Amino acid sequence: MQYITVDDLAFHYEDEPVLENISFEVNSGDFVMLTGENGAAKTTLLRNILGLLKPSKGNVTLSRTNRWNEKLVVGYVPQQVSSFNAGFPSTVLELVQSGRYPRGRWFKKLDKEDKEHVRRSLESVGMWDMRHKKIGELSGGQKQRISIARVFATDPDLFVLDEPTTGMDSHSREEFYRLLKHNSQDHGKGILMVTHDHEELRQYANKHIELIRKEDSPWRCFSMDSCKEPSKHHSSSH
Amino acid sequence: MFFYGFMQRAFQASFLISLIAPVLGLFLILRRQSLMADTLSHVSLAGVALGMLLGTDPTWTNIIVVIGVAILLEYLRMIYRTYSEISVAMLMSGGMAVALVLLGLNEGGASLNINQFLFGSIVTISQQQIWLLLGLTLAIGSLYIIFRKPMYILTFDEDTAFTAGLPIKRMSILFNVLTGVTIAVIMPIVGALLVSAIIILPAAISMRLSKSFNGVILIGIVIAVIGMLSGLTASYQYGTPPGASITLIFIFIFGLTTAIKKLFSASQYERLTRRRNITGDTD
Repeated sequence: MQYITVDDLAFHYEDEPVLENISFEVNSGDFVMLTGENGAAKTTLLRNILGLLKPSKGNVTLSRTNRWNEKLVVGYVPQQVSSFNAGFPSTVLELVQSGRYPRGRWFKKLDKEDKEHVRRSLESVGMWDMRHKKIGELSGGQKQRISIARVFATDPDLFVLDEPTTGMDSHSREEFYRLLKHNSQDHGKGILMVTHDHEELRQYANKHIELIRKEDSPWRCFSMDSCKEPSKHHSSSH
Repeated sequence: MFFYGFMQRAFQASFLISLIAPVLGLFLILRRQSLMADTLSHVSLAGVALGMLLGTDPTWTNIIVVIGVAILLEYLRMIYRTYSEISVAMLMSGGMAVALVLLGLNEGGASLNINQFLFGSIVTISQQQIWLLLGLTLAIGSLYIIFRKPMYILTFDEDTAFTAGLPIKRMSILFNVLTGVTIAVIMPIVGALLVSAIIILPAAISMRLSKSFNGVILIGIVIAVIGMLSGLTASYQYGTPPGASITLIFIFIFGLTTAIKKLFSASQYERLTRRRNITGDTD
């Protein structure tokens, strides 16, 4: 089932094109990595997909339902979560629990199952012991981890992740990728992830979208080559 | 002083304001809209001036004008996303300018009345205002209980709220309108110049004292009740303006809690250092 369909998308900042000729799909069970050099408008593309920005041309369709015909739940981890609202008066537990709200809990109390989900999500990123800490007291890496725990607590049908592993050590990154792979492969979740770790990630992802600079454009405009399967071998530079 | 009807009404009003101010104040601070309360209080003067010019009850013209501007503020906030203070600056000065022009057109007697709205007056609280305030408190209380979770996400991060499927525009407008109506209703009691301080300060103090979201709201209410009731008593005893007296008490509580917190942190640090020295732990 198609969760995201991008059809000939173009996006202009005022009159300057930054993205052109973008077309791809993210289906249930897909683990898609989105790469590109710094400033390749990867975040802009994600924001267009999520509806936070409006495409200048083309269409983005975000499925309304998941493969069980229920409302599609999207889990989004924005870039630079470490700079989030530092003074926000909330404990780690409160924030991660809020990940359960889109699962039909906006106006209901969290039940035992919800709490169990939250506990497992916090444990998966090694933050259960810090659950009573105020989020403003955490380091950048810890904030990153609770944002990931929050998204796991949501248990979304579609993960949209913008460089979620910034500040993570290689062991934690590997654990995280393995967990995502398990979610896509065994539970049919769709994953679209912006990353710079494409060498590490290529053994987990099943699709690779690379944004490349358009040579014929007078502007710094990016397009995509094709949506390909990532090569599984490690490059010699890694 | 409790034998006087006007003092009974003043205490009733203060208690009700104490229940709603920290709720609105916390959301205003976290949405970086603290100055919105100030803007709306300046605009509400224009609403009062319009009511006086038309010869109608200024409470209603005030509410209508403030609701209009609260919606306009949200629209401008969307346009000037990065520099949202622009909308605040524009409407604050605009509101004051309209108020002064309308007062100028309404010659005779208006200046005396406008002083009540600028500085607040406990003598002027009517039974109708108490009912209005009670209705508003019940409305805000119920909305907070129902929409606490969506508001938590909206306040934490609007993009996250949007992707979670929340109607962020409608929620923001509703919040602005509620804030506007609250300011319009409490402005004649505490005064336009200090209404924003009374809304913002209890939440600002309690944010430093609690780790959790609900804790901040509860402590904020306790602080608001203490500050409002003691400020009102001081205002009666010394004949000082109520808004100013309450604001000074809040600032005093802010200073006191900051000092106590610093002392507590220092003693905790000292205890930890002493324990490390005894155990020889160098971590």
